[in-house]
Amino acid sequence: MTPPGPRTYIDIHILQTVPPANLNRDDQGNPKEAYFGGVRRSRVSSQAWKRATRTHFAERIPKQDLATRTRRIGAALTERILEGSDTDAEAGARLAAALLTQLKISAGKKEGDTAYLFFYGRRQLDALAALVRGRATELSALDDTELADIVKQMPVQEQFSTGHPVDVALFGRMVADIPALKVDAATQVAHALSTHAVELEFDYFTAVDDEQEKDETGAGMIGTIGFNSATLYRYASVGLHQLQDNLTDDEAAVTAVEEFVTSFARSMPTGYKNSFAHRTLPSLVAVVVRADQPVNLVSAFEEPVSVTSGIAAASARNLAREHTRALDAWGDAPAFTGLCHTFTDSDDTTELLQHAFGTPHAFPELLIGLRAHLTDVLKQAAR
Amino acid sequence: MSHLPSALIRPGEAVLLLRLAGPLQSWGTRSVFNRRETNAEPTKSGVIGLLAAACGVDRQDSLSELLPLRLGIRVDQPGTLLRDYHTVSDYRGRPLPQAGVNAKGMQKPTSPVKHTHVTTRYYLQDAVFLAAVAGPSALLSTLDEAVRAPAYPLALGRRSCPPTQPMSLGMREQTLEESLREEPWQSSRRAREQHATQLGRERGLDHPLYPSRIDRSATLEDTDGDDVLHDAPVSFDPHTRSFTSRRVRHTWLNIPTGFPRPDDESIGGTPDDAGHDPFALLGW
Repeated sequence: MTPPGPRTYIDIHILQTVPPANLNRDDQGNPKEAYFGGVRRSRVSSQAWKRATRTHFAERIPKQDLATRTRRIGAALTERILEGSDTDAEAGARLAAALLTQLKISAGKKEGDTAYLFFYGRRQLDALAALVRGRATELSALDDTELADIVKQMPVQEQFSTGHPVDVALFGRMVADIPALKVDAATQVAHALSTHAVELEFDYFTAVDDEQEKDETGAGMIGTIGFNSATLYRYASVGLHQLQDNLTDDEAAVTAVEEFVTSFARSMPTGYKNSFAHRTLPSLVAVVVRADQPVNLVSAFEEPVSVTSGIAAASARNLAREHTRALDAWGDAPAFTGLCHTFTDSDDTTELLQHAFGTPHAFPELLIGLRAHLTDVLKQAAR
Repeated sequence: MSHLPSALIRPGEAVLLLRLAGPLQSWGTRSVFNRRETNAEPTKSGVIGLLAAACGVDRQDSLSELLPLRLGIRVDQPGTLLRDYHTVSDYRGRPLPQAGVNAKGMQKPTSPVKHTHVTTRYYLQDAVFLAAVAGPSALLSTLDEAVRAPAYPLALGRRSCPPTQPMSLGMREQTLEESLREEPWQSSRRAREQHATQLGRERGLDHPLYPSRIDRSATLEDTDGDDVLHDAPVSFDPHTRSFTSRRVRHTWLNIPTGFPRPDDESIGGTPDDAGHDPFALLGW
């Protein structure tokens, strides 16, 4: 066992107030919950917010740079092989199948071996198609055994082992049959929890029949929707060193961090969005870069924030105190801190925050500072 | 309560103490497919996996150095079970395909049409454990360093369950049992207050009672143990992933509470029987 080398973790702490909403519901249709510090909290699962983050990516990043999660990789590959080639569709499909056999994702067999969704990069698929495109006619003329032998020599798995698209690099990929294609996620996203005790509430509703006859009374239908309102603590951590490994490109790794911080901060799960219009932005984003270990500050809220007034500001003060306390107790100073917040009313809050996370900036400036720092870290490491 | 003679510390051996705490934890053993369970206590495969991740050991790498480590778990705050409803669906709103394919190699749609795949995940919420790992001092000090500066992010049994700090409480020159008996109670301030209030109520007082020691349950790896757990990892390699069993002994330990001003006099007993132990009546 050897001690690990230098690490760079980017911790993202977010406080976000959500009005009455039902972002992420359980099988009863009510918002998810968890007990923490002995009281009931509102909870949004990590999976729900990761999906919102991915969807936010999809709107901002060129499709070419993103992955797609599909079982129809065979059809997509065939289409790419046929582009600019005079081969017919059947021969294209045969070549695609031969290539995919190398990934043990064989198409055209009766066994259900395309049983899982494959999460791949569009550029990776282009590279795979390029292996056969120029030789399509020649290869199509071969019989199955000869074709299989030639394809076996081609670097098929390698196309999927490097140059991962940004979202595979960040969120990882699991391919049960071929460990070589597995990518360990560079991010860790915690379940969002409210900083205070939350009780589940019900909205009782009636719907009126517009075409109702005059002599009838009563509603067309009645029902309830569970909801709650909460100030959520959201936490995620990105391992820059792992992201570098996954992307095999320093510049791309820094960009991926920037994209992740942006999309994680700005995204919102869409559950019941038309009923509640809960779309808010965070009241606080604190980015902390550490060379030792990720630090989750959820302990700041183990003692639930009391619900008299100004929960968001009280939560921000608790977060700042917890960060400062952890620093004083363990003495591990972060390599970089960036802060963006919307608190203006209380000097106490802004002072505590500034003491803990440094001078506040607008979000775009925070990102510029983060990029400069990470670029520096990578330059130093390369030296 | 059994009082087996605590084994002498072997030369060059020590114990590394880890505090396993976070809002959610999940320590599965037999989980497959759509039902992902959690045990009531951290598993050996979970703790070894955490240490391996800290060191940057890949799944295919050999675990031979880590496997002989012995594990003891103390339940400082048992927590409760959380059932999480989780669904998988196609984001374009299309019906999910089934596993089988037709003659053309295309996946057949589910029939009747199925849009959502439901899985159930179980978590422990609001739990705190103290894990003691016994083994060669040199190895443990490397592991201690690794946990403080991990190669991969650490998790309490599942990726979405990051731990709270501090995780490593450092090394002890003690036996597994001694280290778990002497380390102060790691539970949250609120849970400790609740315990003191409850204790006061049990004794007919209208104020909390702060004992100096209380009893907590523990599971210790012990070759003479009377229970067998099938949670010791052999390999995390996805192709040859396997587990083996280990012998453990379940026990109660009388541990320090760490209350600043304990008031044992008012409980009217020696610190040793300050805790509530119904089995003491049976002479166990």
